[in-house]
Amino acid sequence: MASIKLNKITSVWIISVLLLFIVSIVLGILMRLNQGEMISQSPITFYSNMTTHGLTMIGIWFVAGMAAVNYIMERYVKTSYTVNVLALVLTVIGILMFWASTFIGHFHSAWTFLYPLPFKEMGSETWATLMFLGSLTVLGIGWLIWSISLMTQILKKYSIPQALAWQHLRKNPTVETPPFILISMITLIGVIACLLAAVVLLVLFYAEYFSNGNFVNDALLMKNLTYFFGHTIANEMLYLGLAVIYELFSEVSGRPKWKTTWYVALAWNCTLVFILTAFFHHLYMDFVQPQGFQIIGQLASYFASLPAAGVTVFSIFIAVYRTKIKWSLTNLLFFIGVIGWVIGGLAAVIDSTISNNIVLHNTLWVPAHFHTYNAMGNVLFSLGFFYWFSIQFSDKTKIKKSTTLTLALLLIGGIGFLLAFYIGGAESIPRRYSIYPSELSIGASLATIGAAFASIYFIAILIFFFNISKRCLKILFSSS
Amino acid sequence: MQQQSIFVLFLVLAGIATIVFTYIFISSKKAAAEEKGMSNPLKKRFWFSLILFVILCIFITATIPKSPYYLFADETPARVIHVSAIQFQFILSEKAIDPVNPSGESHIELPINELVEFRVTSLDVNHGFALYDSSNRLITQVQAMPGYVNRLRYKFKDPGEYKILCLEYCGMAHQVMRSSFMVN
Repeated sequence: MASIKLNKITSVWIISVLLLFIVSIVLGILMRLNQGEMISQSPITFYSNMTTHGLTMIGIWFVAGMAAVNYIMERYVKTSYTVNVLALVLTVIGILMFWASTFIGHFHSAWTFLYPLPFKEMGSETWATLMFLGSLTVLGIGWLIWSISLMTQILKKYSIPQALAWQHLRKNPTVETPPFILISMITLIGVIACLLAAVVLLVLFYAEYFSNGNFVNDALLMKNLTYFFGHTIANEMLYLGLAVIYELFSEVSGRPKWKTTWYVALAWNCTLVFILTAFFHHLYMDFVQPQGFQIIGQLASYFASLPAAGVTVFSIFIAVYRTKIKWSLTNLLFFIGVIGWVIGGLAAVIDSTISNNIVLHNTLWVPAHFHTYNAMGNVLFSLGFFYWFSIQFSDKTKIKKSTTLTLALLLIGGIGFLLAFYIGGAESIPRRYSIYPSELSIGASLATIGAAFASIYFIAILIFFFNISKRCLKILFSSS
Repeated sequence: MQQQSIFVLFLVLAGIATIVFTYIFISSKKAAAEEKGMSNPLKKRFWFSLILFVILCIFITATIPKSPYYLFADETPARVIHVSAIQFQFILSEKAIDPVNPSGESHIELPINELVEFRVTSLDVNHGFALYDSSNRLITQVQAMPGYVNRLRYKFKDPGEYKILCLEYCGMAHQVMRSSFMVN
C-alpha cells in the first residue's frame, strides 16, 4: 500500500510532467508553424527550441514512467522515498540548467548533441555547451541513482534469476515472479546500461572540453555511444509504461491478474537483448561502421517486434476479445496507446530495413514514427496511469460524454499531426529544417496542416491536464 | 517509386492493425457477461508468433542483400568524386581535397549509367550527403563524418541536375547547406 508521502511525491511528478509537456507541445507547434512560414523565428531560436522540445519530451516521459513504476513497485517491495525526492530535485535542477543553456545560452545542438557539434556551434553563448553538459550530468546522476535504487529493492526480495523470471522457463516454478517485477527489472537493466553509456559519453566530452585541444574524440565511437544512450532510453520509457499496463490493465478491467508464464519470461528476456542492440540502426548510413553491426541492427530491430507482438499485444487481445470488461478511461487510454505503439512500431520496422533507410533516414519519416509511439502510445500509457492514480481517491470513474469528446480530439489531432509527418517522409522532406527550400515547398504546407492538427491534440492534453492536476493538487494538499 | 511503395505498405499495415484492434474492442463491448473470451489462446498465440516470425524472416532475406553496402561492391567505379562537407557547404572535386586549404570544382558533370563513387568526409561536424533527383526525390545518401571517409556508389539512370542536401543536423544554417551537379 502506498504511503501518504509516496502519493504526494507522485502527485508532484504528475503535475510537473504535464506542465512541462504543455510547454514542450507549444514549442513543437511553434516549430511546425515556422516550417509552414506562418511565423518567422531566427534559425537559432528554431533550433534552440527544437533542442528544448526534444530533450524535455524524452526527460519527462522517462520520469513519468519511472514515477509510475516506483509507485506500483511499492505493492511488491519497499522503495526509497528519499531517492524518489532526490530524483525529483535533481530532475528540476537539471531541467532548469538545460533550459538556461537553450533559452538563454542559445545552445542548439539538438537533443542528440552529436559530437562534435556542441563544440562547433555558431551563435550560442560560450558557456552554453558547458551548461548543457552540466545539465545532462545532473539529470543522469539523479536518474542513475533512482534506477539503481529501484533495482536494489527488487534484488533484496528476488535473486537475479528470479527477478528475470528464469525459473518460469522450467516446469512448475516454485517462486512466482509477477510480470510487473520482471518487466521493471528488464527495463531497469536497460536504463542503467544506457545511463552508464551516457556517463562514458559525458566523460569523453568533458575530457576534450578541458584538454585545450590535446585530446580529440573519435566521431564514430561518440556516435555509437550517443545512440546507445539515446535510442535505448527513448525505448525503455515505453517499456516502463508497459510494466504499468501489465499490472493495471486487468485490475481496472475487473479481470484476473496477469501471470508470468514461460513465454512471457522468454519474451522479456529476449527483449532485453534486442533493445540493447537495435540502436545500430541509427548508424546505417555510416558505411564505415563494421557491416556486422549494421546487420545486427536490422535483425534486432525486426525481432524486437516478435516478443512485443506475440506476447504483450496478444495478451491485450486475449484480455479484451469477447470478454465483458469494465471499460474506463484508464484501460481505454492503455488500449488506444497499444494501437499507437503498434502502428509506430510498424513504421519503425519499415525504417529499420537498411534498404529502406537509405531513402528515409533523416527525413520526416523519423519524427513520424517516433511521434506515433510516443504521442499516441507512451503518452497515453502515462495518461492512463495519471488518471488511474488521480481517481483512486475519488469515486468518479464513469466515462462522461465530455471525456469521449476529449478522446476524439486527441485521436483526430494526433492522427492528422502524424499523417503530415508521414506524407512528408514519403515526399523526401528533411527533418530538422527550420524552413524548407523552394523545391520542397510541400514541406511547408504539410507543416501548417501538422500544426493545425497538433493544436487539436494540444486542446485534448490541456483538458487532461486540468482534470488530472486538479485531483493531484487535492492529494498533494490533503492531510491523509 | 520506393518511398510511395513504403508509404502504401505502411498505410495498409496500419489499417489492418486498426481494424483488428477495433474489432476486438467491439467484441468486448458486445460480449455478454458469461462469454469466455478467446478459445485456445496459447495455440493461437503460437501460430500468430510463428506466422509473424516467418514474415519477418522473409523480409530480412529479401531486403538485406539490397543493402547499400553490397551494391556495386564488385565493380570498379568509372568516376570518383571526393566530397568534403564543412559548415555549411559541400566541396566537390575529382582530386583529393586538402583538409587544411579545402577547395573544389564549381561545376561537376557525371556520366549516365556508369558507376560513380563519392568519397565523403567532413572537415568539422557530422553532415549528411543526400542526393535528390530532378523531381526532388531523395535517391540515396550517406553520412559525412569527421575523421572517416564513407564511399557511396551510385549509377544515375536519368540525365539532369541533381541536388545535394545536408540531411544530418549540423547547426544554425543546416537548412541552406546544399550543392548540385549535372548528369549527362
